[in-house]
Amino acid sequence: MLNHSPFITVINIIRNTTGYFLFFSSLLLSGCASVSPWQRGILAKPEMQLSTQPVQALFYEHAYGSREAASGSNAGSGGGCGCY
Amino acid sequence: MQAVEVAVAVIKKKPPHSALHALTFAALALPGIMAAPVFADNDNVDFQYGHYQEGKRNLFSVKNDKNPIEVESLFGKATFSLTDRVNFTTHYSQDTWSGATPISTAPLVAQSNRAYLADTASGQTITVGASPYLNTQLLVTKKFVPLQQNDVGKVLGKAPQLVHILSMASPETRKQGDFNLGYEWDEAAIDIGGGLSLENDYESRFGNVMSRWDFNQKRTTVNLGASYTNSDTSAILDHDASPYITKDYFATQIIQSGAMKILQGNRQDWSTTVSLTQIINKYSLFETSLGYTQSTGYLENPYKVMTIMFVDPEQTAKRLTGNLHAFLEQRPEQRNQFSMGGKFVQHIDFAEAAVHLEYRFFQDDWGIAAHTFGAEWVQPLTSTWVITPKIRYYSQDAADFYQPYLLSKQAYSKTQYDPTTGKFSLIPYDPSKLPNNFSSDQRLSAYGAISGGLSLSKRFSKAISLEAGIEYYQHAGSLKIGGGGEGHYSDFDSFMANAALKVNLANLDSRAFNLHPEHHPHHHQAHHHAHAPAGVMFDHLLTDAGSWMIGYRFMHDEQGGAMLQGTHTSSEQTIVKTGCGTGSEGCRLTPTFMDMTMHMVDIMYAPLPGLTLMLMPQFMDMAMNLRNLTDAPPVPVGGHVHSGTGHATGGIGDTGMYALIKAIDLTHHHLHVGLGLSAPTGDVDIQLRRAHQQDEGYIHYGMQLGSGTWDFKPSLTYTGQHEQWSWGAQFSSTQRLEEKGSTGYALGDLWQTTAWGSYQLSPSWSSSIRGVHTNQQAITGQFTALPGVVNGVLLDDVNQRSGPMDFAKNYGGRFWDLGFGVNYTVTDGDFTGNTLGVEWLQPLSTDVNGVQLDRQGALSATWGLAF
Repeated sequence: MLNHSPFITVINIIRNTTGYFLFFSSLLLSGCASVSPWQRGILAKPEMQLSTQPVQALFYEHAYGSREAASGSNAGSGGGCGCY
Repeated sequence: MQAVEVAVAVIKKKPPHSALHALTFAALALPGIMAAPVFADNDNVDFQYGHYQEGKRNLFSVKNDKNPIEVESLFGKATFSLTDRVNFTTHYSQDTWSGATPISTAPLVAQSNRAYLADTASGQTITVGASPYLNTQLLVTKKFVPLQQNDVGKVLGKAPQLVHILSMASPETRKQGDFNLGYEWDEAAIDIGGGLSLENDYESRFGNVMSRWDFNQKRTTVNLGASYTNSDTSAILDHDASPYITKDYFATQIIQSGAMKILQGNRQDWSTTVSLTQIINKYSLFETSLGYTQSTGYLENPYKVMTIMFVDPEQTAKRLTGNLHAFLEQRPEQRNQFSMGGKFVQHIDFAEAAVHLEYRFFQDDWGIAAHTFGAEWVQPLTSTWVITPKIRYYSQDAADFYQPYLLSKQAYSKTQYDPTTGKFSLIPYDPSKLPNNFSSDQRLSAYGAISGGLSLSKRFSKAISLEAGIEYYQHAGSLKIGGGGEGHYSDFDSFMANAALKVNLANLDSRAFNLHPEHHPHHHQAHHHAHAPAGVMFDHLLTDAGSWMIGYRFMHDEQGGAMLQGTHTSSEQTIVKTGCGTGSEGCRLTPTFMDMTMHMVDIMYAPLPGLTLMLMPQFMDMAMNLRNLTDAPPVPVGGHVHSGTGHATGGIGDTGMYALIKAIDLTHHHLHVGLGLSAPTGDVDIQLRRAHQQDEGYIHYGMQLGSGTWDFKPSLTYTGQHEQWSWGAQFSSTQRLEEKGSTGYALGDLWQTTAWGSYQLSPSWSSSIRGVHTNQQAITGQFTALPGVVNGVLLDDVNQRSGPMDFAKNYGGRFWDLGFGVNYTVTDGDFTGNTLGVEWLQPLSTDVNGVQLDRQGALSATWGLAF
């Protein structure tokens, strides 16, 4: 079990997530009605932004990252060792 | 223009409410409303304080007396548009943490956390706490199941229960600074950035590049990013624990520096991400992302050890003896990590709210697969309040090489008789019989975590808003998806809280600085000239009732160089003989440097024309190091034995509240009175960690974060100006309102007199020169006696008396300083009204109370903006 080849891991991920991709692809192809710029009043509201509280999110992400295996992989933005 | 006209036409046809009206225009004005967070839409400045606090771990057999991990975080961010297309963002963050954390895991019956007992004066033996024991023995069955024995060695039964071994981490501070520079085209953008993260034992340098492409009239946005991080570990192995840890595998990476063993390593992380954001319809959008990170090099946590149970299979007894030994953990030198995620945002019409749903899948080649689910309901309550309840669930598998503890069927070491030579020799364990990789780090175990929280935000004006949030987090093996997680011994909980102040510069009405000659010709003029040097506080009132000012103030103060007695350099013998208390054996240690850094947020509001109220929360951190004095007396029992690594503390300092009241306001001369209170919100009870089998009491007075008392802070300020010249003088004082704080002492009262002159070099630039005299009394009182255990004996007071910094008499003094400052005010363009100031204070004369370190100088920097 030790040292999975990255290649096999990639294959597994693709296999496991094909459905997910198909779901979003179908959304892309079908559901995305043409929304003109002047119809985006609701989308421009603060609560509709992808990250509504980006500064707060950074703090919580940092806390998760110091205690979880999957959260700390934000290379390129610092964060230190978290060795506690 | 076409789009704007159409938008107006649409709005006329079916009038929506005014907020939507405004937002529609806002949306049209934005370069890309789907921009990733790295591309700031507006110029803004944010400050945030965060607190992370874990609950106490259960040690089952002994009382856990150790404070759990706690982290204090400070974060600042500023984004400015340099031109229409170029923006610059800079971040600063720092974290200070301390507390007890698991370093390993062992069977409970091995008693790895032992009660440390102490004998009291009355002859009783009492339990005062728990100490980690890494190398212990236990009995196991033939199938290696640990056995429980009673006091006389009788076997009671099988005991598979595990427990964490806890160890204390001293307070330590990490600081990070980074920047991003972005360029925007009409339908694309690029952003490059880099930064540095520094802590005592870890240093990271990183760089990143991010690009954005918009398609289909910005209905679709693609982000592509890449980043690189290079990090060096140089971990000082715990002085007390190190002799009991087997470090053979890392022998080539460990260097000896004085009495310390330092484990060195380097790691590199490459990361790429791609994400796609798509507007689905007028009410919803989604984002999907893919990421890959490759990490190579030293990926271990240098403070985590693996407990290995060595059982010699040649034992013939019915029950076998297992010997537990601690090994530095060993992880693979490479890790490939993949993640993919999706986020969906839907507007909920009936509630005028938005729901955010998020899922992320993670898989690495260490065998960890993880799922994260998140949901938020963003509910605007009124036009200015927003409440956001949120919930998050996380679950992960264990790494392939994770084990709570390892079993090795061989002796750790055994003696062997060689009949040919007739000699006994010691045969050590065979490393080839151990796995290549092993770790008992809880982060690599199988578990789930559920957390829920609430955040509130309040917009005070278009420009200013406050955010606050809390979250409660529970980690448990049983919460893992599908079960089968780590046992309940590893469960813990934590809570997190944050508060943020956000200032949108684009929306500020910087009226106080703009030309309004018809109203306040003199005041306006006065404002431009009256910015005092950066080190002067309370130098001006706001002119208009109802106006606000927001500012940030930074101060860094350094002490170092020679030790002084009064005004003269003190000899080593003088420090030894006079630096410490009368009746003591003399000083053994003396400081080599002491740095203090303060970050203050400055919020001013004028309810009436002649009255300005100020609130100044502050965050501070300190660092110092000590050295041994020559000719010092021997270390007494319980004396602070310094490892030479230095101390650090940090967190919230005292909070100031002030009222500035106008007294005289003539064309060229102004006088105002300041009345202030400082609340003792800074800690004054920070302790040194237990080391060398002894409790060491409170950390030195100068390393505590507050004064400990409520303080009265009056001031009287005069300012004047004529043509290009301005000048001022200020008398200020700090009077302690209580005899002593919660830990038994009060800092000395302080009086300060300063006078300055400033010359306007151009409409924007001015330079200043300033003289300062400060007189501060010595500390009164002393640390309350703190009972503790030293070498198994309970003492009434374990506070340190090992150097001048431990004595109240060696604080305060009389000081002269000369300041050189530069101020810059933005007088036109988008940033009109922003002021920046920098001042260096150079010590001219120093006359310390008792024996103290010399002063090196202080740097002050300020930023302010009125509106």
